[in-house]
Amino acid sequence: MNLDPVQVMMGPDSMPNTCPTTSNGDSKGPWEDSKDIHENDGLTKKPKSPKPENAVTIAVSSRVLFRTDIEQKVYEEKGVEEYLRYQIQHENEPLAPGPAFPFVKALETVNIQLRELYPASEELFDIVLVTYNHAHVGVRLINTINYHNLFIERFCMTGGSSPIGYLKAWQTNLYLSADAQKVQEALAEGIAAATMFMPDKQMEVSETQLKVAFDGDAVLFSDESERIFKAHGLDKFFEHERENENTLLDHGPLKGFLELLGKLQKKFYAKGHRLDCPIRTYLVTARSAASSGIRALKTLRAWGLEIDEALFLAGAPKGPMLEKIRPHIYFDDQMFHVEGAAEMGAIAAHVPYGIAQKYTNKK
Amino acid sequence: MEDTKDHIGPLITALQYNDIFDLDSTQTDTELLPVGIAFSFIKAVQSVNQRLVNQISTESLGFEVILIAREGSEVTKEKMVKSVNHYGLGISKFYFCKNEELIKTLQSHKVKLFLSTNRDDIDKALQAGLAAALLYDQLGQHGFDKLKVIFSGDVIGFSEDSRDSLTDFGFSETQLKTFKTAKMCMKEFVSLIGEMRRRFGREDSPLCTCLITAWGSRDVSTSALKTLREWGLDVDEAFCLAGAPCSPILAVVKPHILWDGGLHNAGDTPAQS
Repeated sequence: MNLDPVQVMMGPDSMPNTCPTTSNGDSKGPWEDSKDIHENDGLTKKPKSPKPENAVTIAVSSRVLFRTDIEQKVYEEKGVEEYLRYQIQHENEPLAPGPAFPFVKALETVNIQLRELYPASEELFDIVLVTYNHAHVGVRLINTINYHNLFIERFCMTGGSSPIGYLKAWQTNLYLSADAQKVQEALAEGIAAATMFMPDKQMEVSETQLKVAFDGDAVLFSDESERIFKAHGLDKFFEHERENENTLLDHGPLKGFLELLGKLQKKFYAKGHRLDCPIRTYLVTARSAASSGIRALKTLRAWGLEIDEALFLAGAPKGPMLEKIRPHIYFDDQMFHVEGAAEMGAIAAHVPYGIAQKYTNKK
Repeated sequence: MEDTKDHIGPLITALQYNDIFDLDSTQTDTELLPVGIAFSFIKAVQSVNQRLVNQISTESLGFEVILIAREGSEVTKEKMVKSVNHYGLGISKFYFCKNEELIKTLQSHKVKLFLSTNRDDIDKALQAGLAAALLYDQLGQHGFDKLKVIFSGDVIGFSEDSRDSLTDFGFSETQLKTFKTAKMCMKEFVSLIGEMRRRFGREDSPLCTCLITAWGSRDVSTSALKTLREWGLDVDEAFCLAGAPCSPILAVVKPHILWDGGLHNAGDTPAQS
């Protein structure tokens, strides 16, 4: 995957000094077919952004939406003033896609289809750029958004202040960042959040269907069972799960997000798109189907959440399964699994929640 | 870019006494007036001035706050001067005038910025070509150590291209006409603020500037960022709302000064009000 930001500029299409509007039709996106359908409606204007209370708001930081390795290095080695100078100098060079880019593109694909089926509805994904970058970097970030033809109309550049207050102001449903501390602060405020890292390689993902995969314990569910496992071992864990099979697990930080995905899925089902629904969800858990998995399934069912595929690995490595699924994002609470996924080129995000954070010695 | 070095001097900022002091308060028997909305603004301005002087002792750049009082009794005037001195507000110039003479008074004293909580006064000042902005009421939640100024990206980034999206949101032709005039009033103020901002580093600055584009697209924001840069100011924070409600964001930003070029209902779009 081409990583050098300069190389992303292709041929004579170098950035003009004034920002092009998206109506220039210069689309390089992989969803061109859908875009053509959209244009046939006679719409030449960009659609309006939905009200935050109606939309599923996904806040992404600039470091996960785009690749900023070089810029990060300048910041770390030479300080903030030099970093800002560098950014302004390179203002007209768009940045390359980052780890959250395919996920955001897939969200937009779903939006296009939702708008077609429900033109008056505001139940859509709304992607907001929330970065603690200074506004000096703003022009470059907007140029980059324009270059990649992303539908991101809302942003917060907080100039170094904490973005957490803004996440709440936007009624954020999911926050993705490269900064683990910010992610933890968001989780502490009850906002679903995960840290993303740039993998060395990235496997190809679907351009027509959004695929979101979740770990079970400490992601969809609370970490209560994991605590038992960590403290007393596997046998005790199984015993505990068996005894409590009919007790629902408590919810975890990403349960709400899965719920929102389910709501949007039902909108597609209502229009006859169950088999070819453009959103697909997966549970990828170390629990085993015959035993500890039952409690997980019963809990999901009691919550009224339908997950499309539940994969019980009974402790087997998750990598090969993720390679089969190729999710646009996979949420796990253990860095061990996130790193393993990244090694295979799967897009994984770390949810720093629960007891597993005290056991990071597997690095 | 104009060389503004010759014009560096104090940023003469006018406030009205009914914004500095709370005249509605029932406390009428003491010698002093209780403080009002503008109090934290003045304190923040003093902090900026102090830092500037710390850097260069002969610095003439900084805020000079003057107080305008309309229709006050002699007793009130006395209380006012006493209270200003008591709270150490650093105001040395007081101008008393009749209600209808406000604009003339502002103009004759070469006021570079007029701040008020009264939108009608702000409108009148803008129409007369004066830079005027809203003193934002945060119910005393400000910190005194950072002066926060917000500029409207919709007005500064306004162009014929952005006109359509603004009419979509319910703005009338008359309102759009005022944007153009409002924009030019702010140029001098922006360049002075930019001059001050440059005296401080990126972090730990007593002055923080912000751009909020409430309705315009991201391209309107870019246009505004570039215009501000041309005028000599690189803002610290920038927000683009694309029609989302402003008040939750403003509650986090907590500005002292909100310059929205006379846009009413800065908190909600006209169509939603």
